[in-house]
Amino acid sequence: MMLPEDKREQLQTQILESEAPREEAINVMFALQKHYGYLSDEAVSEAAHMLGMTTLEIEELATFYDFLYREPVGTYVIHVCDSSICWMYGEETVMDYLSKTLAIAPGETTADGLFTILPVCCVGYCDHAPVMLINGKPYGPLTPDAIDSILLDIRLNHPECEEVK
Amino acid sequence: MAGSQSFILHNRLEHQTMTLDEYRRTGGYQGLRELLNHEAPENIKKTVLDSGLQGRGGAGFPAGKKWQLLPDDAPHPRYIVANTDEMEPGTFKDRLLLSVNPHTVIEGMIIAGYANSAQKGYFFIRPSYQQVALKFEKALSEARAGGFLGQKILGSDFSFEIVVHRSAGRYICGEAKGLIHALQGERPHPNIEGHLTEEGLWGRPTIVNNAETLAYVPHIVRNGAQWFRDLGKHDKAPGNKIYSVCGRVRRPGVFELPFGTSLGEIIEEHAGGMLPGYEFKACLPGGASTRYLTKEFFHVEMDFESMSKIGPGHRLGTGAIMVFDHTCCLVAITLNLIQFFARESCGWCTPCREGLPYMEALLAAIARGEGEADFLPRLQEMCRHMRNAYCAFALGAASPVQGLMEDFEDEVKAHITHKKCPLEHDDPNQWPLQPMPGIEDLETGNERHPSCPI
Amino acid sequence: MPNLIIDEREIEVPKGTKVIAAAERLGIMIPRFCYHEALGSVGACRLCAVKFIEGHRKGIDMSCMVEAKDGMVVSTTHPEAVAFRKFIIECLMLNHPHDCPVCDEGGQCLLQDETVSGGHGRRRYPEKKRTYEDQDLGPFVQHEMNRCIHCFRCRRFYQDFAGYRDLGVMQIGHREYFGRFESGRLESPFSGNLIDVCPTGVYTDKPSRFKGRRWNFERGPSLCLHCSLGCNTTGNARYREMVSLEARNNKAVNGHFICDRGRFGFDFANHVDRPRTARVDKKPVTWQEGVETAARRLRHIDGQKVLCLGSERCSLEAQWSLKQMCRNLDWPNPHFFVEPEIQRKVTTAVGLLDETLAISMGELENSDFILALGVDPINEAPMLALAMRQAHRRGSTIAVVDPRPVSLPFSFSHLAVTPDHMDLCAQVLVQKAFDPRSAGNLSDEAAHVFASLPNTYTPNPDLQGRLKDLGQKLGESLKPVVVCGTDMVRPHTPGLAAHMVRFLREKVDGARLFYVLPGPNAFGAGMLTSPEEPGSVLEILETGNIEALILVEQDPFWSYPDRERLEHALKKVEFLLVLDYLPSMAVEKVQVVLPTCSHFERSSASFINHEGRLQRTSPIHRGGTPISQVSGGKHPPRTFLDHIPGGDAKAAHEVLAELYGAVSGEKEGALLNGLQDWLAEKDAPLKGLSHQKDGIRVVPEGVLEDVVFSWRKSETIPQKKGLELLLTHWTFGTEQLSAHSRPARKGERAPKLMMHPEDARRLKLADKDRIALSLDRGEVVVELEIAPNMAPGVIILPRHRKLQWQKLKEWRVMVQDDGIRKTEGPK
Repeated sequence: MMLPEDKREQLQTQILESEAPREEAINVMFALQKHYGYLSDEAVSEAAHMLGMTTLEIEELATFYDFLYREPVGTYVIHVCDSSICWMYGEETVMDYLSKTLAIAPGETTADGLFTILPVCCVGYCDHAPVMLINGKPYGPLTPDAIDSILLDIRLNHPECEEVK
Repeated sequence: MAGSQSFILHNRLEHQTMTLDEYRRTGGYQGLRELLNHEAPENIKKTVLDSGLQGRGGAGFPAGKKWQLLPDDAPHPRYIVANTDEMEPGTFKDRLLLSVNPHTVIEGMIIAGYANSAQKGYFFIRPSYQQVALKFEKALSEARAGGFLGQKILGSDFSFEIVVHRSAGRYICGEAKGLIHALQGERPHPNIEGHLTEEGLWGRPTIVNNAETLAYVPHIVRNGAQWFRDLGKHDKAPGNKIYSVCGRVRRPGVFELPFGTSLGEIIEEHAGGMLPGYEFKACLPGGASTRYLTKEFFHVEMDFESMSKIGPGHRLGTGAIMVFDHTCCLVAITLNLIQFFARESCGWCTPCREGLPYMEALLAAIARGEGEADFLPRLQEMCRHMRNAYCAFALGAASPVQGLMEDFEDEVKAHITHKKCPLEHDDPNQWPLQPMPGIEDLETGNERHPSCPI
Repeated sequence: MPNLIIDEREIEVPKGTKVIAAAERLGIMIPRFCYHEALGSVGACRLCAVKFIEGHRKGIDMSCMVEAKDGMVVSTTHPEAVAFRKFIIECLMLNHPHDCPVCDEGGQCLLQDETVSGGHGRRRYPEKKRTYEDQDLGPFVQHEMNRCIHCFRCRRFYQDFAGYRDLGVMQIGHREYFGRFESGRLESPFSGNLIDVCPTGVYTDKPSRFKGRRWNFERGPSLCLHCSLGCNTTGNARYREMVSLEARNNKAVNGHFICDRGRFGFDFANHVDRPRTARVDKKPVTWQEGVETAARRLRHIDGQKVLCLGSERCSLEAQWSLKQMCRNLDWPNPHFFVEPEIQRKVTTAVGLLDETLAISMGELENSDFILALGVDPINEAPMLALAMRQAHRRGSTIAVVDPRPVSLPFSFSHLAVTPDHMDLCAQVLVQKAFDPRSAGNLSDEAAHVFASLPNTYTPNPDLQGRLKDLGQKLGESLKPVVVCGTDMVRPHTPGLAAHMVRFLREKVDGARLFYVLPGPNAFGAGMLTSPEEPGSVLEILETGNIEALILVEQDPFWSYPDRERLEHALKKVEFLLVLDYLPSMAVEKVQVVLPTCSHFERSSASFINHEGRLQRTSPIHRGGTPISQVSGGKHPPRTFLDHIPGGDAKAAHEVLAELYGAVSGEKEGALLNGLQDWLAEKDAPLKGLSHQKDGIRVVPEGVLEDVVFSWRKSETIPQKKGLELLLTHWTFGTEQLSAHSRPARKGERAPKLMMHPEDARRLKLADKDRIALSLDRGEVVVELEIAPNMAPGVIILPRHRKLQWQKLKEWRVMVQDDGIRKTEGPK
């Protein structure tokens, strides 16, 4: 279940071209996260091996950051911005609406493995508040209808839905 | 709105990025071409110093002065870092700048590299700006193809390369020293003693500048220091600034205006004033780590000098204006802000790591009506203590709290006395069930419809 | 030297001193957590805040981060500073659990002290306390994360200072978690120091958990005896039992730390089978009877037929007393080494070390080039690895010439060559350090030496380039040190090392010599053995001329490689007397046993470490059978005794004095008289004392005139067929004292035979195969471990207590291919 050969080679090249292997740590972790679905223990070991680091050293980094998931997440991770402008514009009710619609609490994943809801801090789209990111792609300003149509869109186009690299 | 003097944000359509040709047609890369092999690097530093360009990331440190701190005989390699972490809540100016005009930042980095005899540049960008990163990478390949980047640029002896480094998402990565560790693949604690200009990335001299700061550099070099100075509203506010406004205003967005434009002008004229049915209550003038300003301060010029003159703890910050209306409970807003800071604290030093959750706990108690009278002086004392934390994060985090305690004491006291929020109603967050009436789309001037995606 | 005022008191301090250290000199302990003298200042906890009035940015700043400057004025008592420190301690206590009653740190806890000093009392934080799940970090260190105050000390010690990478900080903000990636034993052999550096009870001493509060213990300064480095410790005893050890600060030797073998090896003193009473023919007798029986037998034996054997773990008092006794009774001189080769190596080393060459472990940290010859620090003398790492952190180059798979917590050059080639390798390196052109500046003698130095490392041309680079670095260094072992090396190597350093001193007078000796008082033993003394004890016994053998704290069964021969030789001796505190095999086989005390009990003892530093231990407790052993875990019997159960044992030198008195009829007590004088005497082999803090170096001031500046040219290196079997030490399991310690045993790993992949391929063997190794006296069955970073042509076996390895006819053994075969079945 390891990274495909070509992807691994690409990362190895990046590591060789960097000033020090650790510079590429986040890129390696992102690539492995994409491959495994989340940054699993196996992914951590593989990252450590590629970078010449220990699993502890990888863990020191992985658990620091927001966008590295050390627990399983759905195919589509919905990050709902909960900073003040989005909050003012209804973040709590956006969160409630998503929870109700998907029948999960924030932090959980839907039974079909499609969606996970997580909070996130200001994503820098305050002029489109309230905002959510889905796999890094921003959507806003949100209304119940907008949310419904976004989710429907994703479900319909699921295998082909354009993901941000 | 692109004012008559705006030169960075030519193209207001966020979906359209200025191409290399378009950029060159407006004079882009001309400054670079002229200085290569003609201007001594020290002269470039002097020009930037004379222009009075101040760092636009929030600290306001003069860019030319920072460049001059890098000694001429410092070892190589050297690095230029463009800081596009921009995780300050309410701030999105760099996002727009880079979506619209990435080449100005690229040229700025190259010129900074030349002035400091650096060989490599890093473009440090936050993970939620993926689209922006892709646009930047595309612009980088355009620049390389055009011969403006890479080995022996435009036939000179100067070589410079730029690498895009994606962060994995933490506010502290925007702090210069935290950024250095983050880039090196280490935990982004800001524990570096000494100047980055002497020992930065991998112990080598490093210049860290905000993306917007670098964006002005090509224009300064091309048009001269005095030209830049004259753009500003007054002597102590040279050049232009990209302000952003968000909150319940008619036209939330980003505006390139003369530095020192008044707060009132930005909010009422450029951002179109409050939405119908909403009254202005207070605003944060420069992102979450600044102090609240009420309408009395509309006349204040939005530059570093004038803002700090208002009083202790007041600062311009990023110039990202967050507007709060009469329906907003400022205790709740402040609580939301301190929750953000407490969550983002990197955990290196005690007052920030433990003190911010402490402040959060007291404010949360006040917000839900369980506050006690002595919470006020305790919170104020804690705000003062944040001054002695390891870096400026804690101090910034304390600013809105300090502002709340000092300028909105009555609102806080009301929560304590009445044991509930005076603005409480059934649906505290008036999330619209249909599109918010009145918000205008900056491009078309029409009412905006919720877009999907942005 | 800056002169500053702290709290209206003036003090002058060396340049570079931080304000917090300057205050300490005045007796003002500014509250602190993250600051630690060995770990440096990082300014994380913010507790050491003081008010600066002059000489610095006015206002509050951290005293650990600010350097003392001339004219500085500081106040630690200013209300602003006090209020801030109170806030900090309140913050740190927000989540701290109410564990004091059940926490081992209580009573010796920096957090308790600073909480009181900060004036913090009632908790007024309205939220719940955050909690963590603990990890199992192995047998030595207990983990209780709820108590953590995030001072980062553990990570800074474990990663930055010690260089191990399996413990660190995870998560962010106030969720930060200090631990491993997952539960599991800590890899570092210095993990026990976490117990000392942690200012709260997150890391506590697991083997001694819940055994007592600090004020319950009898405490005293002691020394670690598990190698020759002489690290300083503090011992804790309760109910006549040694409970735990802590590191004791000695800047010249071990700094603030000790290794795990030293920390957890003490339990040999509590061994249930320790000889506690005198025994005659295996029956317990009174002390008087034991001494009398021994004396009676000895009186009837011709003095020339009595052989005395001391050891490298005897105290200097015991060694001296033994020698005096032999002299006074006209017995032959005592031996201290069973192996003639080891005796030769140690006496050479001791004879050549002088004040100009000796260097302490503390000073080694400042070296800029270390050439380690035949040393495997982590396994032989672990703290040496830690000192080398500090040198590495300061930019030093480190080269290790050794056939074993040496691993160190920093990057170094490993020249894995066979023992026969080590000297050649080192000489080529030294030759490369000298530019032939500047050889004209050398003295005639030295120039002659230089001319005779080998130029090329012929056995393996691949190494030539590396030797050239390393030689260049050596040539550029100003404070090079040659570290020479006495275990793996050939007999002439310690002499070679000394001459190499003397040669290097022609170029740079900062060159120094550092020996690693085979025991905590091998130096003393070496001083008291004259080089001409015939070495082989066994040969002497085999002549049949010896009728009485006295073993003083010496167990030849443990370390002598030919058990069969030893037993045969001993059969020829009529009378065997043992003085020891270990339940050794010797104790089982002899006629009379007189138990001695360990260095924890009853009286002070002196030991001389590898650099010639004389240090003393103080007794921790009176001695005697631990109460838990007397009463089988139950309450001690409610009867009055007029003696301490098992308390007969005396210090070895006291027993010898008594024995001497009984044999000679003279008054005892005269034996120790000459010791102090001898150390200072002109006629003795030493010419003076160098007074050092924290111990006295007893090496002569200058080079001895009568030692010729010689050099052994090693051109003809004997080519032997087969694989050379090398016996080695491991951190745990091979050193005799710690091998008798229950907690230290938990640190052991299963013994393995180590082989180079080339040899394994040739023999068609794989990693983890069970091997039957045919030796002269039988087979040793052991698991194979393939190690690519060792020298080919050798196989390595640890002298592990779980292996019956003492089946070799001689020290140096070649094993042929057919002597190594794969086997099935349990060992």
